[in-house]
Amino acid sequence: MRETILDILEEICEDSVVRRELDLDLFAADLMDSLGFAELLVSIEDQLGIVIAPSEVEREDVSTPNKILALVESRS
Amino acid sequence: MNILERIRQNSLAHPDRPAVVSGDEKLTWGELEQLSTRLAAHLEQACGDNRAPVAVYGHKSPLMLVCFLACVRSGRAYCPIDISVPESRAQLILDQMDSPVVLATEELSCDCKEKELWSLEKLKSLLSQKLPPLPEAKAVSGEDTYYIIFTSGSTGTPKGVQITASCLNHYLDWSVTLGTSPEQKQGQIFLNQAPFSFDLSVMDLYTCLACGGTLFCLSKTAQADYRLLLNRLGASGAQVWVSTPSFADICLTDPAFSQKLLPHLELFLFCGETLTNRTVQKLQSRFPGAKIMNTYGPTESTVAVTQVLVDEALNSAVSPLPVGRPKLGTRLEIWREDGSPANPGEKGEIIILGDTVSSGYYKRPDLTHKAFFTCEREGKSLRGYHTGDEGYLKEGMLYYGGRLDLQIKLHGYRIELGDIESNILRLPGISRAAVIPRMSAGKVKSLAAFAVCQEPVADSFAKSQELKKRLKDYLPEYMIPKKFIFLEELPVTANGKADRQTLGNMLQPSGNPANDGSGGQALGGKG
Repeated sequence: MRETILDILEEICEDSVVRRELDLDLFAADLMDSLGFAELLVSIEDQLGIVIAPSEVEREDVSTPNKILALVESRS
Repeated sequence: MNILERIRQNSLAHPDRPAVVSGDEKLTWGELEQLSTRLAAHLEQACGDNRAPVAVYGHKSPLMLVCFLACVRSGRAYCPIDISVPESRAQLILDQMDSPVVLATEELSCDCKEKELWSLEKLKSLLSQKLPPLPEAKAVSGEDTYYIIFTSGSTGTPKGVQITASCLNHYLDWSVTLGTSPEQKQGQIFLNQAPFSFDLSVMDLYTCLACGGTLFCLSKTAQADYRLLLNRLGASGAQVWVSTPSFADICLTDPAFSQKLLPHLELFLFCGETLTNRTVQKLQSRFPGAKIMNTYGPTESTVAVTQVLVDEALNSAVSPLPVGRPKLGTRLEIWREDGSPANPGEKGEIIILGDTVSSGYYKRPDLTHKAFFTCEREGKSLRGYHTGDEGYLKEGMLYYGGRLDLQIKLHGYRIELGDIESNILRLPGISRAAVIPRMSAGKVKSLAAFAVCQEPVADSFAKSQELKKRLKDYLPEYMIPKKFIFLEELPVTANGKADRQTLGNMLQPSGNPANDGSGGQALGGKG
């Protein structure tokens, strides 16, 4: 699952740095915005069957690859 | 119609109805009328014989509407500048404005030079001082410019599209009929998503004012946070939705975005970019009671000139969706490269002729001459505009096919790639640059900048972050490329220009070419 999430992140952020720097703030680095975030949740639903509504989570809770991994893992 | 007269009548008919709601602030129709009339008189007093357009800086404050109407009531065009425009770019626009005053409802950090800044504080103080109202004949009318909206220019300097009072009035005669009747729209709540410096906002703002409705504004902050956004949408009671398709896509990601959240919503009006079948299908299932209208048009022809109702039958039968049939007063033609008319169904440049075509670019006769012209059709002289859009007509229905040049739409924002490239070249240490769109499912998904640096780049991620940060001094956020890719040299075509096709191919993720089907090729164009 971890690999799937990182693949999705790399695809959306268009940068492999998300695999190396797991504590990088994706919003601050402009690698993620509202649309990208929406896309991330759609891909997680499509590929992993885990449904997370965007309004359920604070941006702060999903700002880094590590936080996203933890969130998805907690929902699986 | 005469929009200013219509606004006055509406304010007399229902002075206590809210005209605009934004966050915790609102203005009633009575207040909008009274304050804008008052500010118009102050403008006249301060500007005297100077009739030059007035810059209005700010975001979604209800006072923005007061400022806009005050300018035109005093006989002066206004030019909205949103807070998303960075200081240096706002400065370029301000420097072209010859009015002795600048109105600002938010803090403005630009150098106003010899102009007097009417800050929020100053505006409020003026609005508390009564002056005799100006005669109605002072107001802009006919061929006077009503507003100027700046849009991305290919050389890195934004260009101002001038829309006359006639253009706006002709546009409104049509926009009030979109999807539902003007009577049905009376007093309805219209959603405003776009900043006022984008002409999409004219669709909600002025259609709403023409119909005596209430404009419900969504701020930038509300649009960036799902919880806040859903909360605001739920509180809006909106009946008419106006946005880019991208914004609807953002909302659709949340399952809570449905008829339950917006029980009174009866009409979606879309403009600004391609509306996909997928977006329509999702909207239809979430909002079974609402009509969906697709429209098309450039800023240069007052927001939009075509319309089509996208119902389930059309959405399941046609892909990609058509953009519609022209409004009354607009004539669409498709021209071949040599200027000859294309046959029905044959692709060519979309040419717009008619009563909403702009009078040209502000203070840019050179650019105006290239894009605008007048011609005769059926004994009438018409203004015409070369859209630079490719398309074809089939049984009177217009289908959009992409750009003929390096202009793109990213999430509804109109961007000249040359604008970004020129600004990248202003950054220290960059010798060449080319910006290439990454495509997905026929839409631009993101932008990548290929750059050649004078010094070797050790850490490309860090360098990319640094350049993006610097670029924000010159360009609004939506124009910042998602990533920089550093090359020792740019591949070039036989005539020495950046080879956009090769660069586009470099963007395709390896082993997953299907994902990027159209790559950069679609934009190879006339480069």
